Amino acid sequence: MVLVLALGDLHIPHRAPDLPAKFKSMLVPGKIQHIICTGNLCIKEIHDYLKSLCPDLHITRGEYDEDARYPETKTVTIGQFKLGLCHGHQVVPWGDLDSLAMLQRQLDVDILVTGHTHQFKAYKHEGGVVINPGSATGAYSSITYDVNPSFVLMDIDGLRVVVYVYELIDGEVKVDKIDFKKTATMHG
Amino acid sequence: MASSPRSPQPAAPAQAELEISRQSRILAALSKKVIDLDELRMLSAQGVPDGAGVRSTVWKLLLGYLPSDRELWEQELAKKRSQYEAFKDEFLGNTVGGNSATRGSEAHSDGNAEHVENGFLDRSVIAQDEHPLSIGKTKEWDQFVENSEMIEQVDRDVKRTHPDMHFFCGDSSFAKSNQESLKNILIIFAKLNAGIRYVQGMNEILAPLFFVFRDDPDYKNANFAEADSFFCFVELLSGLRDNFCQKLDNSAVGIQGTLSKLMQLLRKYDGELQHHLEITTEVNPQFYAFRWITLLLTQEFNFADTIHIWDTLLSDPDGPQETLLRICCAMLILVRKRLLAGDFTSNLKLLQSYPPTNIGHLLYVANKLQ
Repeated sequence: MVLVLALGDLHIPHRAPDLPAKFKSMLVPGKIQHIICTGNLCIKEIHDYLKSLCPDLHITRGEYDEDARYPETKTVTIGQFKLGLCHGHQVVPWGDLDSLAMLQRQLDVDILVTGHTHQFKAYKHEGGVVINPGSATGAYSSITYDVNPSFVLMDIDGLRVVVYVYELIDGEVKVDKIDFKKTATMHG
Repeated sequence: MASSPRSPQPAAPAQAELEISRQSRILAALSKKVIDLDELRMLSAQGVPDGAGVRSTVWKLLLGYLPSDRELWEQELAKKRSQYEAFKDEFLGNTVGGNSATRGSEAHSDGNAEHVENGFLDRSVIAQDEHPLSIGKTKEWDQFVENSEMIEQVDRDVKRTHPDMHFFCGDSSFAKSNQESLKNILIIFAKLNAGIRYVQGMNEILAPLFFVFRDDPDYKNANFAEADSFFCFVELLSGLRDNFCQKLDNSAVGIQGTLSKLMQLLRKYDGELQHHLEITTEVNPQFYAFRWITLLLTQEFNFADTIHIWDTLLSDPDGPQETLLRICCAMLILVRKRLLAGDFTSNLKLLQSYPPTNIGHLLYVANKLQ
């Protein structure tokens, strides 16, 4: 049972002052084993905050991140799964599932986590699963102002992943889950 | 005779005759239609001959797993063994949110994973607080975490049980399947007994039971060693539970009380030694006898000797506690010369790694302390 927090596109302080209080109260140090962040934090304070939740932090660079040293893409192996991380502004058309699938095959990962569109998505194709955790602050995106704050928590247990989707809708936190297993066909 | 560890060298004729006669007596006792448990207890207290291949059956009778009437054996065994299978289904098929609703959705999404190549993944609704970050006290999630930790502990302890024995440790599929069985039993026990759960050391008490049952020359019984060990383990532990309950540690029935009883027994039969140990050299029984008692002497002697000691321990109709104390007392008396000549350090060292002993003699001395 390994908990992996996936979030991104916070755009603090430019587009949002902070994470929603209801999210912050749930994110306590010590519960989560890994954090993967799609990017656009944008400032060091947020980096430090995430680091305080969990020391194993992986971030890729969003176009507004002040720290230019984050990589464009990253791969992490957690348990039986290979995860890929990329902000997504580099993949055009933005949010296009086929283009993202190509990136996934290039990175050769089971699960690709990307952001930029600020819209939650979970999509499966032959190359694997693409997850977009959305924007954790509900910041407006290049495409739309209508954004619900959201993030994702993955529970990796052997060959199975349970993806918990946390969304703030009308001031209330709604949690759903998605269940999937790694099958032999998922990889190359 | 080579199979009898009590007499490693070719036995003197008198010894050999004694061995054969004990074997025939125990076989005779077991062949009765209704077994006389008192007779069996008396014979077992003297040690079950290894050559007879009946230890598995004897222990099952002594622990009340098998009824004394032979006719009822088949039916009893079938009942218990299928009950164990039910336990396995219930407690070992465990996943997060293992209620029928989510199991259904898992099966559903499994079907999806097979057939739907591309597509957005279905989101399923979950109950109010059933996610890892819930602040509320989700019984199910907390229990899941607790169980995971318990299972990890069991796994670690099982892997460390008797690492020198091929039966328990190593790369063979036999060892691995035995380890699986031990784990299953301990996990099911912990889940059924929320009050006591799993405590380190239970693996050591289970090990001889499982070994003896798995070693049964009748393969029909050996195949069910796991189920049989489970029930016998429960029975054995029921008398020992108080030792494992932390809250009772300082009460009269807990481990401290038992240690005091041991010292009282020693004072009765060897006051000089008791005084020298407890007062002069300040070797508190907690430092050495804690392990002797809570683990039923499984750590103090080699495995074969432990099994012989258990023949005697299990033969006590009131439970092993009294006999155990007498054996511990005998252990002290047998090394009295060295203890009386020693100080705190040397005595502690001696008692924490008790020297190999003639078990027959030890049990003989213990028997006299009544």
